[in-house]
Amino acid sequence: MNTFVRWLGYLFVIFIAAPLLVVVPMSFSTSSSLEFPPPGLSLQYYEKFFSDPAWLRPAWNSILIASATTILTMILVIPATFALVRHRFWGKGIANLMMMMPLAVPHIVMAVGYYSYFGELRLVHTHLGVILAHTCLSVPITFLVLSANLKGFDRTLEQAARSLGASPRRVFLHITLPILRPGLMISALFAFIQSFDETVVAIFISGRGAETLPRKMFDSIRQEADPVIAVVSTLLFVAVILGLLAPQIVKAVQSALGRSARNASE
Amino acid sequence: MSSYLQLSGINKTYGNFTALENVDLEVEKGEFVTFLGPSGSGKTTTLMLIAGFATPTRGTIDIEGASLAGLDPQDRNIGIVFQNYALFPHKTAAENVYFPLQMRDVKRLEGMRRADEMLDLVGLAGFSHRYPKELSGGQQQRVALARALVFEPDLLLLDEPLGALDKNLREQMQIEIKRIQKKLGVTTIFVTHDQTEAMSMSDRICVFSNGKIEQLGKPLDIYHRPKTKFVADFIGESNLIPARITDAANCKAQSNVLGDVTYGTQSGTELRDGQEVSLVIRPEHLKLSSKRLADRMSAGIEIETIVNYGDNALVIGTSESQQIRVRVPGADVVILNEGDKCFISWTQDDVFVVTD
Ligand SMILES: Nc1ncnc2c1ncn2[C@@H]1O[C@H](COP(=O)(O)OP(=O)(O)O)[C@@H](O)[C@H]1O
Ligand SMILES: [Mg+2]
Repeated sequence: MNTFVRWLGYLFVIFIAAPLLVVVPMSFSTSSSLEFPPPGLSLQYYEKFFSDPAWLRPAWNSILIASATTILTMILVIPATFALVRHRFWGKGIANLMMMMPLAVPHIVMAVGYYSYFGELRLVHTHLGVILAHTCLSVPITFLVLSANLKGFDRTLEQAARSLGASPRRVFLHITLPILRPGLMISALFAFIQSFDETVVAIFISGRGAETLPRKMFDSIRQEADPVIAVVSTLLFVAVILGLLAPQIVKAVQSALGRSARNASE
Repeated sequence: MSSYLQLSGINKTYGNFTALENVDLEVEKGEFVTFLGPSGSGKTTTLMLIAGFATPTRGTIDIEGASLAGLDPQDRNIGIVFQNYALFPHKTAAENVYFPLQMRDVKRLEGMRRADEMLDLVGLAGFSHRYPKELSGGQQQRVALARALVFEPDLLLLDEPLGALDKNLREQMQIEIKRIQKKLGVTTIFVTHDQTEAMSMSDRICVFSNGKIEQLGKPLDIYHRPKTKFVADFIGESNLIPARITDAANCKAQSNVLGDVTYGTQSGTELRDGQEVSLVIRPEHLKLSSKRLADRMSAGIEIETIVNYGDNALVIGTSESQQIRVRVPGADVVILNEGDKCFISWTQDDVFVVTD
């Protein structure tokens, strides 16, 4: 490889990773404010995070909201993807466009919209409100991942299964679903991360009642620049990385288990 | 009605495109029938109608006198081997073969035993635990065959199953499929666009062209007595020479290229005096000689190209600007040169008449 291109690559990686290089060391700091480089190393802010309800409650809210968002998104997107990929119907183009809309509209615009509309419905500051808003935001990315998977799915497999005696329901359960499982897992993961990360809409509508982790961080940095923020950032980062690597980890574990099972049976 | 599978008056249209027109076909129990025709001629469409993945616009399909209309594909008990094999990637070879039994509520232990037996029969003993992607093309093909046969289907349909295999493997699989089909006695429809495959495997061949059955008959009948120009051209090599019937009662025709010709007696097609037809002579039935032969009809040609294949050679000559192809044994070709003038000769039985 050309040396120049290689150095450009390194520079890019450093540029991308720079915030982490600052945030992760700060989370182990002894300083009483966010300060870089840290004057000394300790775990005191990790201890604080895991013992302070003011931090644990938003963490729990975030997990709850992201989980519910994931489930709701999948319930909506799976049938919609099958319909949009496999069938032709009147208004398909518009339906497709509507699915992708949240990707194009700035979050701040969506947030203002939700704030006033959900206000009318008394959904502001509730878990349900945040879940509904996050579901809308998660739809496009989930739909993109799933439809790419479904488009690549060989439909003669379904014909084969039918000819072998499977009803459409059994074809779906025994053939379509298992083959699409990796795609489903990844799109669900994207929905989860999207909700877990989302800040703008959460700041507008989550309020005290349904406060999420990113919102709590935002509030806390404005008020006190508490180093716990660095801890939360580090934990969020680790969680997302684990989530993204989950499929590989599962695959590695499965193949290891499979190998030992096969060895045992022979 | 004695036939096992019967298609009567089948039409299939997509919008205003006619994919199949008036298809009639009867297949006997245990018979091996091949659908042969160029791509787009309606072979797959016919299979899909039989399998229940599409419904005929008009016409009926019966097995043993019972109509298939209204039966879903899963209730037809028909085994299909698809061109791309359509093996389930998340199941092992044995699990693939077990699948149709599982759908028939056969218990796993018993089903896997029968799956293994079937894999044995197709020559795949010891490959049960492999996933499809761990198998070669030929092996995947065998799994697909085992899966389509394990539930003792009333009918086996194969849609260009050997298309993706290389030549050696193809020939091997042709023999294998034939062996297994005979052993199990399953009524089989095999689709191909390869005429030698059709010739070597079939009890009968059904030639498709443009959504119609062009001719149906035993392989050698189709080869030696094609009824239409299309069949003569599509099956084997042919010289097709335009001619006009001069005396239908005495089998006489006249052509610019060959002069006056007496053709072999014709069955089936009615010919009229003055009718424009084509004369067909197979390249291997023509003889080359330097002089006219007394006991054969002959015409002069000039040799244009000689293509050597070792055991035989193809000599392409022209007469009256019509190309004539002659197959000669390899040993005879040494005395021939491009540019030579010589004679082709034939007998009455070598010539037959086809209409368009
Ligand atoms: N679902 C369909 N819609 C429109 N046209 C079709 C459809 N299925 C097949 N056809 C047309 O019917 C004709 C016959 O196709 P097919 O039976 O697949 O041919 P073959 O298998 O002999 O190559 C083709 O011209 C094809 O384009
Ligand atoms: Mg086809």
